[in-house]
Amino acid sequence: MPLLDAQNVSKAFGRFRAVADADFAVDQGEIIGLIGPNGAGKSTLFNCLAGDMVPNAGRIIFDGADVTRASAEAHARVGIGRTFQVPTTFEDMSVLDNVMVGAFLRHPHRDDAREQARRIVELTGLKPDQRARSLGTPGRKRLEIARVLATDPRLLLLDESLAGLTPGELQDAIALVRRLHEMGITIVIVEHIMEVIMTLTKRVVVFNQGHVIASGTPEEVVADERVIEAYLGRTGTPERGSKP
Amino acid sequence: MKKLAAPPLGLTLLAVGLVLYPLLFSDAFYRDIGVTFLLAAIAASAWNIVGGYAGQISVGHSMFFGIGAYTPVLFYTLWGWPPLVGIPVGILLSLALAAVIGLPTLRLSGHYFSMATIAVAELIRILVGTWNFVGAAIGLQGPARGRAWWDLTFRSELPYYYIFLVVLGIVLAVTATFESRRFGYYVRAIKAGERAAKSLGVPVHWTKMQALLLSAAFTSIAGSLYVVKTGFVDPGSGFGILVSVQMVIVAALGGAGTLYGPLLGALILIPLQTATNNWLGGGGSGLTFIIYGGIIVLIARFEPGGLSELWHRLLRKRWKRVDATA
Ligand SMILES: Nc1ncnc2c1ncn2[C@@H]1O[C@H](COP(=O)(O)OP(=O)(O)OP(=O)(O)O)[C@@H](O)[C@H]1O
Ligand SMILES: [Mg+2]
Repeated sequence: MPLLDAQNVSKAFGRFRAVADADFAVDQGEIIGLIGPNGAGKSTLFNCLAGDMVPNAGRIIFDGADVTRASAEAHARVGIGRTFQVPTTFEDMSVLDNVMVGAFLRHPHRDDAREQARRIVELTGLKPDQRARSLGTPGRKRLEIARVLATDPRLLLLDESLAGLTPGELQDAIALVRRLHEMGITIVIVEHIMEVIMTLTKRVVVFNQGHVIASGTPEEVVADERVIEAYLGRTGTPERGSKP
Repeated sequence: MKKLAAPPLGLTLLAVGLVLYPLLFSDAFYRDIGVTFLLAAIAASAWNIVGGYAGQISVGHSMFFGIGAYTPVLFYTLWGWPPLVGIPVGILLSLALAAVIGLPTLRLSGHYFSMATIAVAELIRILVGTWNFVGAAIGLQGPARGRAWWDLTFRSELPYYYIFLVVLGIVLAVTATFESRRFGYYVRAIKAGERAAKSLGVPVHWTKMQALLLSAAFTSIAGSLYVVKTGFVDPGSGFGILVSVQMVIVAALGGAGTLYGPLLGALILIPLQTATNNWLGGGGSGLTFIIYGGIIVLIARFEPGGLSELWHRLLRKRWKRVDATA
């Protein structure tokens, strides 16, 4: 039984179906790449998987329980964590305080939460006393990862958390994600940078026009006719399909 | 066990100053300003819990203030009960109203929440003003002369001053306590971004509701203190929009979402208000409107996004400086 099983999920905005009959399953312990051209519906799928949006149709099963209509809070509680494509860090709060908000989910007492937050801030290589506002976008993305890690997720949905990094930062970030995977967290990573997908994942799922058009190893997928067509028909090759 | 740290110097000076003030200024006029200041600080601190910390800008807190003010004198008028009995009942009624009002309105965002709270408070004011049971437009009167201490009716300003000071201390102590705990983190996270807070498992609606309940309870107590001090309440002084606006302005002026902001705001606004009222001789609420309007315009001029935003902008500037020098 997969850890997460999304069956026939659809999400429409007005008449437009951003996610259309998507089937998507993740096994415990996997690290999956979710790729696709801009506007393919990847973030919308994440929003459905994380309880941020309720799908118009379909079912989402997590660890055997139906979470389709559960709130975002409930998703966090059962262990589905996510980052946002556009960072949503708590700007007026320090890095440590941001992470503590997440830590309070499993550690109601302040001292325990602070200890958990400190561990994670250290793991992610952030400075605890820095104001979130003073971080650049890469720093904010890293803080988002730290914040959601503090909730002890079993499944982590990373939405372009590695975008916009310098080559050096990128290697650090890849090492961090690998580390999280080794810690036992199941990970789905949306990323336009194929280097990340190639080095981190064994299985890639390609999304286009709201549903899965291909899946397989990274090598298989980039050679797939439909994938090439999807990218060429839209924004170019997967390698250079990064956002404006 | 936690070590008890010595209170910081500023806080100690403030506390000593507040305790000594009515002894140093024994003139009834100055003591009256002191009492008015404390009441404004209590009400604004109560508002600050939901309006400042949680960022849910209520402009209808007079609904709780009014209930707190009316209940003790209503019980006195009906059955001659001492006001002290009416105070906890007022709190319960305010909590009930907060729950009923909060359920739908706390789901609204930003300005819509503010407008909904104004509408409800105004509706209550109008209803109370036409309802004979609670004195309609005339209002209600408390005991003219205290039968015993529990009537909380004193000749001197001094007992009021110290009762109010103790209540302010309690409100600030409760606020300081939650500020550093999970609830304090959760309200700040909600204010900073509900969507992100939810994604981290913060029970957003329940946390906002808790903030509103706590805030309503303390605002109700502020209303009760008001009525035992003045011995009288009418729809305007209990449920009027000025009552709500004063809480917002006092808190926003000093710093919404900070522990001592409301205190600072009251420290500036109340003497200013008293002074201008005196200069122009009984200008009354007309002048108050002008002052409040001026402050709103000033704040809105520099921060059109809303009243409490000004403070955040100032803080951002300060942080930028701190970060730059760090
Ligand atoms: N809240 C919304 N309201 C209306 N349309 C939306 C909304 N969110 C997304 N869309 C539309 O749905 C489609 C899918 O968007 P989504 O953000 O899921 O794509 P994506 O695969 O994440 O793309 P990108 O790689 O650019 O991040 C887009 O056409 C987008 O404009
Ligand atoms: Mg996206």
